[in-house]
Amino acid sequence: MTTAKTLRILAGLMLLAVLAAPGAQAQDKPRTGGILTWFDYGDPGRLDVHAESPLVVQQATAGIYSGLLHYDPDDPSKIAGDLAERWTVSPDGKTYTFYLRKGVKWHDGQPFSSADVKASFDRILNPEFQSPKCGASLKPMVAGVEAVDANTVQFKLKFPAAPFLPSLASAWCRVAAKHILAKYGDLNQPEAQIGTGPFKFKKYERGSVIEWEKNPNYFIPGLPYLDGVKQFILVGGPTQVAAAKAGKIMLWDAWPPMRKTQADELARARQDVDIFQASINTIFLVYLNSQKPPFNNPDMRRAVNLAIDRQEMVAKALEGAGVPCAILDPKLAGDFALPLEEVNKIPGCRQPKDQDIAEAKKLVEKHYPGGVDIEVAVRAVGNYVDRAQLAIAQLRKIGIRGTLKTHESAAGYAAWGKGDFTMIATQDRAMDVNDASGVFHIAYTTEGGSNYGRMSDPKVDELAERALKESNKDKRRQAYWELQRYIFSRGDTATIAVAWVEGWFFTDKKLKNYKPGLTTYDNNTFMKVWLSQ
Amino acid sequence: MRDVGRLLRRQPLGAAGGLIVFVLIAVAVLAPRLAPHGPKEASFAPYLPPSVEFPMGTDQVGRDVMSRVIWGARLSLYVGLVSVVFGITAGSLWGAVTAYVGGATDIGSQRIVDAVMALPPIILALALMAALGQSVNNVILALVVLLTPTAARTIRSVALGVVASPYMEAARAVGASRWRIISRHLMPNCLAAYIVLVTTNVSYAIVVEASLSFIGAGAPPDEPSWGGMLTAGIQAIETAPWMIFFPGLSISLAVFGLNLFGDSIRDVTDPRLRGGLG
Repeated sequence: MTTAKTLRILAGLMLLAVLAAPGAQAQDKPRTGGILTWFDYGDPGRLDVHAESPLVVQQATAGIYSGLLHYDPDDPSKIAGDLAERWTVSPDGKTYTFYLRKGVKWHDGQPFSSADVKASFDRILNPEFQSPKCGASLKPMVAGVEAVDANTVQFKLKFPAAPFLPSLASAWCRVAAKHILAKYGDLNQPEAQIGTGPFKFKKYERGSVIEWEKNPNYFIPGLPYLDGVKQFILVGGPTQVAAAKAGKIMLWDAWPPMRKTQADELARARQDVDIFQASINTIFLVYLNSQKPPFNNPDMRRAVNLAIDRQEMVAKALEGAGVPCAILDPKLAGDFALPLEEVNKIPGCRQPKDQDIAEAKKLVEKHYPGGVDIEVAVRAVGNYVDRAQLAIAQLRKIGIRGTLKTHESAAGYAAWGKGDFTMIATQDRAMDVNDASGVFHIAYTTEGGSNYGRMSDPKVDELAERALKESNKDKRRQAYWELQRYIFSRGDTATIAVAWVEGWFFTDKKLKNYKPGLTTYDNNTFMKVWLSQ
Repeated sequence: MRDVGRLLRRQPLGAAGGLIVFVLIAVAVLAPRLAPHGPKEASFAPYLPPSVEFPMGTDQVGRDVMSRVIWGARLSLYVGLVSVVFGITAGSLWGAVTAYVGGATDIGSQRIVDAVMALPPIILALALMAALGQSVNNVILALVVLLTPTAARTIRSVALGVVASPYMEAARAVGASRWRIISRHLMPNCLAAYIVLVTTNVSYAIVVEASLSFIGAGAPPDEPSWGGMLTAGIQAIETAPWMIFFPGLSISLAVFGLNLFGDSIRDVTDPRLRGGLG
C-alpha cells in the first residue's frame, strides 16, 4: 500500500471518529418522547395515597403528586427539595421552615400555596385519620403544621428528630390540593387525582391499566422527558414474567422482585435488558392475631415464633435472596442492626431446628393436647401462597394444623385492618423511610400502621420513642440494639420478622437515567427518565 | 367368567377403561400406603428433577410431586364420586317425580332446568365458589348444582317413557299409591340411565374440579389437587416441567379411562346396542 493511500485511509478513519463522537454523546443527552411501560402487581382499587399502604396505590399515583421533599432522582441517597425550594431548621431542632416554589399550579390550573400543604398534613396528622404510612411515620414526631404565608409553611416537632426529613421525603407524604380534598372528601377516585407532579392522571381501567400523561406545565421546565407512563395491572408471577419476556414492560423495579428462576428465564429470552439483584428494603413478616384464640395465648405465639424456619423460608420461598431472622438488615441499617452472629443464636433462629421444634411442640401440647386447627390467611399476590404453604407445613410439625384461606389483594388488606384473621402467613412491609426507626413504627409499636396483630407492649413503645428522639448516633445505635434484643427476648411477639427480602430486577437497555430508590416507593415518578429509542 | 371374557372381547376399550379406573380407585384407596410422603410435607429441596428418590421430582416448596399426585387421585375421586352421586341422585329423583306428576309441576320444573342449564357451567361454578369460599366440600356443592339439572332432564325423558307403559297403568289401576309407584316401578326402570349418568359424569366432575383449582377458585392451593398442581407448575414451566407433566398426565389418564368405561357401560346397558349379549 502506498503512503498516500495509507494517509487517506487514516484520514477517513479520523473523520469517521469525529463524526461518530457527537452521535455517541447524543446518546447520553435526554431524548423527549415515548411511553414508559411497567406493571402494578395488583389492582389498587382505592387511590388515596394518604390513607392507604399497599405499594399498588403508591405506584398508581407516584408521578401525579409532589412532596415538600423527595429523594433526588439523580442520587436517590440524597434528600432534595420538591415543592420546597429550600428549608431552615431552628437552633433547637424543633421547627422546620419550608420556603415553597412560586408559580406552581395544580393539574386543573388552580394555584398551589401553603394552604394546600397545611390541609394535606392536617389531614395526615389528624389522630382520627388512619394514615398507615406517612401518618405513622410523622405523628410520633410532629406537633403541628402552620402556613406562615402563601409560600411558607412551618412544621413544629415535639422533639428534635433525626428521621423527620427522611420521613417527610417519603413517597407517601405527598401534598394534595385543599380544594380537591374539600370537593371529594378523600383521594380515592380517579377524578380526585389532581396533583402538581410531572404527570397527569389520564386513565384507570380497573384490572387492566393505569395511564399517566405528561404535565406540560410541570414546575421544572423541560421535564418530564416522557410523553407518558403506562402501568399494566398484571396479577401473578407467570403473567408478569411473560410480559417481561414479550417486551411488554420496560422495567421490573419493585415488589414482587423476580425470583432467580424467573430472572434466568428472562435472560434466556431477552438480551436487550440489564438484570440485577438488589435488596428492596422490605421485610417479610408473619402476623398472629393477639386478640383471638389461640394466639391471645402468649405460649401459642411463642410456639409459632420458635417453629417458623426462617432459613428454610429464605432458601425456598425467596430462592436464597434474603436475610433471615433480622429485625434490622445489616446491609441496609449498617451497625444499627444487631450482628447476625448474635441473631442466629436466638430461639426461633437456631439451626438445626430440632430444639426449637421440640420446645414449640411442648408449648402447643400444654394448651392443645390433640393439636389445634387454625385458618391461615394470605393475600394471593406474588409468591405469598407458596410462602403460606411452607408456613403451614412448618407449623404442622408442632401440632398446629393450618387451613389456607386466600384473599384478593385489596380484600386481604381490608381483612387485616379489621383484625379478621387468625394468622397471616406472610405479609411484606416495605420501609417508607431508609431509617432504622421504620420497621418498628410500622410493625411493632402500638400505633404502628401495620401492627395487624395488635401487639401492644409499653416497653417497645418506650424504647422505640427513645431511639427516635435520640440525636447522638452512638446512643441511637445502642437504643436500637436494646430494642431489638428486647423484642427477641420476649419471644412471643404477634409480629414475627422472617427475613429481609432481596430479589432480581431488570431494566430495558433503552431506558435511561433510571436509578432505583433506597425504598420500594421512591424514585418511581420517572420525572428524569428517558427512552433512547 | 365366560361372560366376563365375552364382555372383554366385545368391549376391549371398555376393558382398558375399566383397568384404568380400577388403578385409579386402588391408588386413591391405598394412597396412605403408596405415597412415600405426606401431600403437604415440604421437607425437601425445591425443583429437584425426577430421580430414584423422587420419581416425579419436587415442587416449588420442596414437596414430593409423586406423593401429591397419588393423594390427588384420592381427592379427585372423592370429589368426582361424591358430587356425582349426590348430584345425579338428586337430579334423577327430581326428573322422575316431575315426569310422573306431570302438568304444571313438570312444565315449571323444566323451565328451572332450562334456566340453570343456560348458564355456562364454569361461570356458574365460579360464581358459586366466590359465594361459598374455597374448600373441597364447596367444590362438591358447586358440582352438585351443575349436575342436578342435567340429570333431571335426562331421567325425565326416560321416565316419561316408563310412565306411559302398561305396567305403570296397571299399578295405578290396582290402587297403588303415588310414592309406591315411583319407588317400586318408576325409579328401578330408570336405573340403567342413572348408572350411565353416574359413570359418564365422574370424569366431567374431575375436569371441572381441576379447572376450578387451576384458576385458583377450587380446592385451597395446599391441597393435592391435580388442577392446583398445574397452576403451581406454570410458574416454573421452563425450570421444572415435571410439575406440570405428571399432574396433567394424571388428569388425562383418569378422564380417558372414565370416559371409555362409561361409554362401555352405556353400550352394555342400552338394549338397542346390546346385541347378542343379553
